Amino acid sequence: MRPNLYWLQCGGCSGDTMSMLNADSPNIAEATNSIGLDVLFHPSFSTLTPARHLRLLDELVGGALPLDILCVEGSVITGPNGTGMFETFAGRPKKDLIAELAAQAGLIVAVGTCAAFGGVTRAGDVGGLGLQFAGKDAGGFLGPDFLSREGSPVINLPGCPVHPQVLIGTLSALVVGKRLKLNERNAPLEYYNMLVHQGCTRNEYHEYQIEETDFGQMGCLFFHMGCHGPLAHGPCNKFLWNNRSCKTRSGIPCFGCTEPDFPQDTPFFETPNIVGLPINLPDGVDRPHYLAYKGMAAAAAPERLKHRQPKV
Amino acid sequence: MTENGKKTIDLALNRVEGDLELKIEHEDGVVTNAWSKGIMYRGFENMLKGRGARDGLVLTPRVCGICGTAHLLTAAKALDMISGVHLPTNAMLVRNVAMMAEHIQSDLRHGILMFMQDCLNPAYVGLPLYEEAIHRYQTFKGRSVVRTIRMTKKILEIVAILGGQWPNSSFIVPGGVASVPTFNDIVNCTYIINNFTTWYEEQILGCPLDRWQQVRSEQELQAWLDESDSHRDSDLGFFIRFARLVDLHRLGRGHGNFLSFGQLELPEGSAVHGHRDGALLLSPGFIGQGQAATDCDQELVTEHVTYSHFVDYPGGLHPFDGQTQPYVSPYEIIKYSFCKAPRYDGRPAETGPLAQMLISGHPLFTDMIAGGGPNAYIRELARLTRPAELLPAMKIWAGEIDPEAPFYQSVREIPDGRGYGLIDASRGALGHWVEISRQKIAHYQIITPTAWNGSPRDHDGVRGPWEEALIGTPIADPDNPVEIGHVIRSFDACQVCAVHLLTTDDHTAGHSRCLRV
Repeated sequence: MRPNLYWLQCGGCSGDTMSMLNADSPNIAEATNSIGLDVLFHPSFSTLTPARHLRLLDELVGGALPLDILCVEGSVITGPNGTGMFETFAGRPKKDLIAELAAQAGLIVAVGTCAAFGGVTRAGDVGGLGLQFAGKDAGGFLGPDFLSREGSPVINLPGCPVHPQVLIGTLSALVVGKRLKLNERNAPLEYYNMLVHQGCTRNEYHEYQIEETDFGQMGCLFFHMGCHGPLAHGPCNKFLWNNRSCKTRSGIPCFGCTEPDFPQDTPFFETPNIVGLPINLPDGVDRPHYLAYKGMAAAAAPERLKHRQPKV
Repeated sequence: MTENGKKTIDLALNRVEGDLELKIEHEDGVVTNAWSKGIMYRGFENMLKGRGARDGLVLTPRVCGICGTAHLLTAAKALDMISGVHLPTNAMLVRNVAMMAEHIQSDLRHGILMFMQDCLNPAYVGLPLYEEAIHRYQTFKGRSVVRTIRMTKKILEIVAILGGQWPNSSFIVPGGVASVPTFNDIVNCTYIINNFTTWYEEQILGCPLDRWQQVRSEQELQAWLDESDSHRDSDLGFFIRFARLVDLHRLGRGHGNFLSFGQLELPEGSAVHGHRDGALLLSPGFIGQGQAATDCDQELVTEHVTYSHFVDYPGGLHPFDGQTQPYVSPYEIIKYSFCKAPRYDGRPAETGPLAQMLISGHPLFTDMIAGGGPNAYIRELARLTRPAELLPAMKIWAGEIDPEAPFYQSVREIPDGRGYGLIDASRGALGHWVEISRQKIAHYQIITPTAWNGSPRDHDGVRGPWEEALIGTPIADPDNPVEIGHVIRSFDACQVCAVHLLTTDDHTAGHSRCLRV
């Protein structure tokens, strides 16, 4: 029997759905048809009548129709004061429906940073939580020990939005029963063991500390312009976006949107630094050695880079 | 609920920009009253307060996943104004081309993937066009659906080439754009525009753009439809045939007030000219119930909260003075929406492609509206054909980008001050009103197109646009009120509205069936 999927939208902007529509080779139509996924409901595309949709929900919540994969897009809104009344469904808090479906689902996928960690919604005054994380803290809405019916924690696919290949690749694995290895934040290593920095066309600027201090200068954006590329985990420079580019290649800093603390408290487009060196160094780097290396690298910078000849 | 033969149904509408529910009162199979409820509050305006001056460029695109570039542009324009910066021509061109790519994907994703899916509604089983509708619009399988998915993501590659990614890039910054496209980038944009135009002509219109542009009246529209099989078999042709079959023109009249903030600045020396004399390709303006279009003055915009889940203030407030203090109570009986009620000169106004076409003086839509006011059919027709208005200018503008000239005028620090950005996003008038103090956001108010269209009642109890547009809508089957879906979706309520029926009373008796052809 074809595995089924229910897509639930909660406290979010639907950007992950829009990102999904950008998937290429396969696109979303080709993917669902070729991997044989039975999409029971997606709020943007389904043609179920209202009454049939409610009956479907009854069957899923009651367990009459076993739910294989639950995709959740958007954060769980728990405000004000834990009531959840900032987002309702059928006159009651949406969070109640999330809990009921989560209790029945074989596997749960948190699509995007809001569902994984709370994301932008967490930064507001609405009590936004991720399904199993609240920012960096394990727990979130369902609690740290929650396991779905098939014994898995919520599989997190952070990104604001999620990269479409990450989503389609993960679903393709789940459909054939493959369990993806997860990192400490329950995100598949396949997609989140690399940094956004890796593959950036501006890596050589970074290497020799050729810095951008204002937009359009074609240097590394890490030292002054607030780029999180060397800190953020994701395949943006491996898969690229829309088959073409990504922010860092186009002179826009990475905002670290795959990370649990997104959106960070410090202003965007600025790198918090002490005497010209970022407070937050590239992931796992030792400060004294990094300082020594950067000093030498800057001195060794070739003229062609200083003059931005590569134009990348 | 039954009172004097009146019955109510509550419909939950799912959508991009937050969920919406409708409460519908109907009698004898006709809607007699309606309430539009925004049922999600995410608190962007309060989230922004106290953050870095440029943070709106990153956070506000996340208000809405389908029109994030519009929020980005609007946020940047407010900061442009505060900074008093003069934009390089290249920056205007890149902004315009990227913005148009987003509009075109939105118009067609909405039109083909979301609006036309209603043709598959069980209410239409057995209609002459039903089998054809399945062939075209079945979810992820229909011929038009599959091709639209393929081509809308192609046109969005332009935003990625110019700005890194879509959705949710932040490449538009006060002073211009952060990216520095090369000749190769620009020529790739042009190829994408050309390929897309060919597809749009073949599949959506069934004719070349310039043939469509000759359609200037309802009579000429009929002549166009009769002219060839390729016109009738195109998605536009099918839409017109289906709309006539189900009387779409009888649905969704509304107040007849239209608002557009205008958009797409005409760079100096460009070969592109606006629809009316002015600085924009599509003109700003307001049309009040059949009157001529007047200029649009943002000072006349206010927001009311009497019926919204926010702490009360009397009357309406201009967004610079706007207050956003959410308030919910289990005992609430008046307030019913997390949407505020925006008003222009005290009046509700619908916004979107139709408003844009009317205010810009497009002859076809001006003629059609004269014949019987707005309706769901004309609204969706304006959306499906808007790309025909945009593509020619888009191609010229892409070609006018000069990779050797500057794309950015430096704005190091945002000075203290107040500014606003006003544009027409894909769904209509979008405004950000911003105050910066000491490098931080002191005040931020956003009015989205859906806030205009899906507004609740105002201080005086006047309904919002789609509340009003629902009055008189026939409902053949309260379990499956497809007519309501048509009306709401004709406003492009961000995303398909998954209309869930929540509570009904006995609706088997006392309802006259709506007659359909």
